[in-house]
Amino acid sequence: MYAIELKNLTKQYGAERGIIDVNIAIEQGEIFGFIGPNGAGKSTTIRTLLGLIKPTSGSATIFGKNSVQHPEVRKEVGYLPSEVFYYDNMRVVDLLKYSASFYKKDCNKRIQELAKVLDLDLKKKINDLSFGNKKKVGIVQGLLHEPKLIILDEPTSGLDPLMQQRFFELIEAENKKGATVFFSSHILSEVQRLCDRVAFIKKGKIIQLERMSVLKEHSYKRVVIETKTDVDKDVFALDGVSDLKQAGNSVSFIYKGNINVITEKLAQLELINLSVEDPDLEEIFLHYYEKEG
Amino acid sequence: MNMYVHELRSLRKSSFIWAFALVALAALYLSLYPGVAKDVTAFKELISGYPPTVRALLGINLERLSTLLGFYPMVFSFIVLCGAVQSMQLGLSILSKEMSERTADFLLVKPVSRSAIVTSKVFAALTMILLIDIVFFAALIGLLQVIDVGAFDRQLFFLINVTLVFIQLIFFALGLAISVFFRKLKAVLPITLGVVIGFYMLFALFGKDRGELFRFFSPFQYFDVGYILDHGTLEWPYLLATAVVFLVCLVISYLVFTRKDIDAI
Repeated sequence: MYAIELKNLTKQYGAERGIIDVNIAIEQGEIFGFIGPNGAGKSTTIRTLLGLIKPTSGSATIFGKNSVQHPEVRKEVGYLPSEVFYYDNMRVVDLLKYSASFYKKDCNKRIQELAKVLDLDLKKKINDLSFGNKKKVGIVQGLLHEPKLIILDEPTSGLDPLMQQRFFELIEAENKKGATVFFSSHILSEVQRLCDRVAFIKKGKIIQLERMSVLKEHSYKRVVIETKTDVDKDVFALDGVSDLKQAGNSVSFIYKGNINVITEKLAQLELINLSVEDPDLEEIFLHYYEKEG
Repeated sequence: MNMYVHELRSLRKSSFIWAFALVALAALYLSLYPGVAKDVTAFKELISGYPPTVRALLGINLERLSTLLGFYPMVFSFIVLCGAVQSMQLGLSILSKEMSERTADFLLVKPVSRSAIVTSKVFAALTMILLIDIVFFAALIGLLQVIDVGAFDRQLFFLINVTLVFIQLIFFALGLAISVFFRKLKAVLPITLGVVIGFYMLFALFGKDRGELFRFFSPFQYFDVGYILDHGTLEWPYLLATAVVFLVCLVISYLVFTRKDIDAI
């Protein structure tokens, strides 16, 4: 049984695009990254999964169950929305207790623990919290019942780097205990760090779904060279070359394919400098983004 | 149960203020009664100068004016108006506030069905409406001990006041049913005042002239104080109409809210 299974999930808002034919199956215990620019359909996908909006067609299940027909399956779900809003005139601790009351287990100890790790003052009123502190309330609220599935929608916005670090540690610890994590973000480096697999969504469609290790090792290379003389433009007109930039006698591009082909090309040039690096996910993603767009 | 308690808590302050307002309003008007009773003829003369529609609107019956039960409908017509505003506002906001205050992402992903959410909220709202009315009625009885009003038929007096609950039920349910059709309802007060005053104008402008069928569309005319005083009972068809309006609105609310898309911010 998959932790999350989306089958041909489609949501249309009238003539507007929502998401089209999204297919994702997430194994239990996995950390799954969901990457795309703003407005690509990440939140729409998550909201459909949680039953906040209903799909036009297709299906979305959590541990094999539709969350609208079987709301009890949400007991296993912790959700951190991208923007957190709570009942303003409640105290943090009261809100968290209210949240805990839905799960029918004692979460007090857990609340104290999480608040300590995140340095959150439980006695304050929600109203008086800064954006970052509200986000912390969101994190505690999402984790206090030790859910088996954690759904994060742009979780790190508003958190300072130290808190981001602690947050990632929390998520990693939960994952080690067996929790599945569905992590949506447009910041690619954070996904790169945590995830086992990653799906790219763009304009409502999944354009790529790959293992992180494959993605990283797929011999994408960022090549930067400097040459003694100007290089002919057509030299690098090869299959697998993208993001080609040329300024005078310095050239940079991303290469995907057989390394030998490109080293052969480079050998024909008289180089002053050469660097070959693994591009970060951002570059790989932008590469997709440009190609598919 | 947790949702019910949570709602009660979040409603207690506003409900207290409404109850206080109703009591204050009644106290203000009733304090005038001993003076009126002393000089009935002058007061009758003054009131008879009002156009008949205004008199009907205020529930004034010239012959009865000298008794408490004749005078009280004047007070009560304002109480009912306030009660309608209070309950409609409550109906409009109790579900929609989760969307307008953006807390839906919290509540609606909890392991409870949407119909359970509606049920808890409706029960909490009805509890508050009843509490307001009980407090109001108790305070009213207290007031009548303090103010010298002479003897009056307590059963009839109770019957008049009970109609407040029915009017509130109608407007609460109406508000609830209207609210579920909005994606994000922010203009709670304008809609409340528009609808309540709209119905009140319907009552004021057309009165009873339009016949029995028309009365069904004008909730403020469901419970005619004159009829209650003459017959010692409520009019059953309109009591039934109250139940029908209430139930139909509730069913609409459930059906629409459980199927509704909760859009991101």
